[in-house]
Amino acid sequence: MLSREENHVLTQTGPGTPCGEYFRRYWLPVLLPTEVPFPDCPPVRVRLLGEDLVAFRDTQGRVGLMDEYCPHRLASLFWGRNEECGLRCVYHGWKFDVNGACLDMPNEPPEYGFQNKIRIQAYPTREYGGLIWAYLGPPAKMPELPKLEWARVPDSHRYVSKRFQETNYLQAVEGGIDSSHSNFLHATVDAFRVTDSYVTKVRNSNNLRAKYHMLDRAPRFTVKKTDYGLLMAVRRNAEEDTYYWRLTQFLLPSHTMIPYQKGNSIHGHCWVPRDDQTCWVWTISWNPEQPLSQEDLDAIASETFVHSKVDPASFRPLRNKDNNYGIDRNLQRTTTMTGIHGFAAQDQALQESIGPEVDRTREHLGTSDTAIIATRRLLLQEIRALEEGQEPKTAHRGDLYWVRSCSLLLDRDVEFEEGARELMKAEV
Amino acid sequence: MAVNRGPNPAHIVTVTDLSPQTLRSLIAHLEVSTDFEHLVYRESELDAIWSISGFVLKNDPEKADGETIHRLHEAAHRAHDLVACGRPREAADILRTCL
Repeated sequence: MLSREENHVLTQTGPGTPCGEYFRRYWLPVLLPTEVPFPDCPPVRVRLLGEDLVAFRDTQGRVGLMDEYCPHRLASLFWGRNEECGLRCVYHGWKFDVNGACLDMPNEPPEYGFQNKIRIQAYPTREYGGLIWAYLGPPAKMPELPKLEWARVPDSHRYVSKRFQETNYLQAVEGGIDSSHSNFLHATVDAFRVTDSYVTKVRNSNNLRAKYHMLDRAPRFTVKKTDYGLLMAVRRNAEEDTYYWRLTQFLLPSHTMIPYQKGNSIHGHCWVPRDDQTCWVWTISWNPEQPLSQEDLDAIASETFVHSKVDPASFRPLRNKDNNYGIDRNLQRTTTMTGIHGFAAQDQALQESIGPEVDRTREHLGTSDTAIIATRRLLLQEIRALEEGQEPKTAHRGDLYWVRSCSLLLDRDVEFEEGARELMKAEV
Repeated sequence: MAVNRGPNPAHIVTVTDLSPQTLRSLIAHLEVSTDFEHLVYRESELDAIWSISGFVLKNDPEKADGETIHRLHEAAHRAHDLVACGRPREAADILRTCL
């Protein structure tokens, strides 16, 4: 449970709010490069941290991100003409470059020099790791880009998707770090019931998750505060002398990494507030050693795991609440716990079912919710520290993000931090 | 050599009931909790006490010891908020009044 005041602080991200100011100390993913694919392409609307913005790629290929509304009469620059290194408002012709400078003001007498006194709010952008990132904070506090492994691998080793979710960002983050839901929400009926056929199937499987989740339904939870955020560890009994560990990373302000098994591709998310009722979900799959395999690409195409098919304009998933996420009640009776296809749609369905903003004063948490409690407390500490003038250290230490999640078997007498140390180091 | 078997603040207390033994264990862990991680575990335990007592009050309001459970429910809430503020020893004092 959280107090009403704590819940408010954690979930309100507009300009001037404590959490909003905190997010404005980090570079945030904002666009796929394909949204502004070529110089002088059409501008696109962007909503981020409660701000209405417009993005465009200028004649020199630079990406501009600025207030959607022209400072003159507040007309939308989405209707603007992207021409000769600037975006021109088609209402009265005012034109702005990617830095927010007013380049032209044809309806005012030039001798007044009015255009030199006018600027539009513009934010710096960077193209990095297959995405366009933006920084919405004070120029003097501009941070480093996070050296996330997925952002540093060659393009062929990585797949990134973007989707729109109708919840506050925190609900989405909490879904990403909540290890205890996967035994239910993402399970098959056979796995949940531990049927004989399921036991036979997984007993000799290389899939450690399937095997050991079945053998121990009551895992132990541990959290560790780190320089970059949190490391969440879930321990299950494995063989007589071993434990099966799954280690999830939470990296400030809102990146997560799903525990991966050595030899497979790795998956992670970044959850970015769009406003207080919706968020952008960035999902990344990557393989540090080689291009993504055909099997990985097939899983992406068939939406079986963390990626969803979306409407190309709105990024709203095709499976959404208007069509009940495509639930198949017969499939739910016979095969999967939800009857909804794909982990991403399953997560989205349940997270959105809670409503766009959760009243966390009404929750009933327990000892399996330590990861969620830890994440809220850490974010509150960070937000309050910034309010007191302490800048977030992680924002200025991109190297801290050079980590991985992992899952592994360890002898029972080995501490997980020690046993997993090498596996948790990023390589690229 | 004697082995110190005091409460380990890095361990989560299993909360399945509202018994004095459970409360004593929670209090003992609160008194030795110092780190961020410890406070997270204590908060989760107090959440569990608050949840269980709340469900008992809601589902069985005529229960003979309803007043005691009501006091525990409120104490768990106050103790929880003290832990969230980094004051676990004061939280232990609050919980001790329910023994």
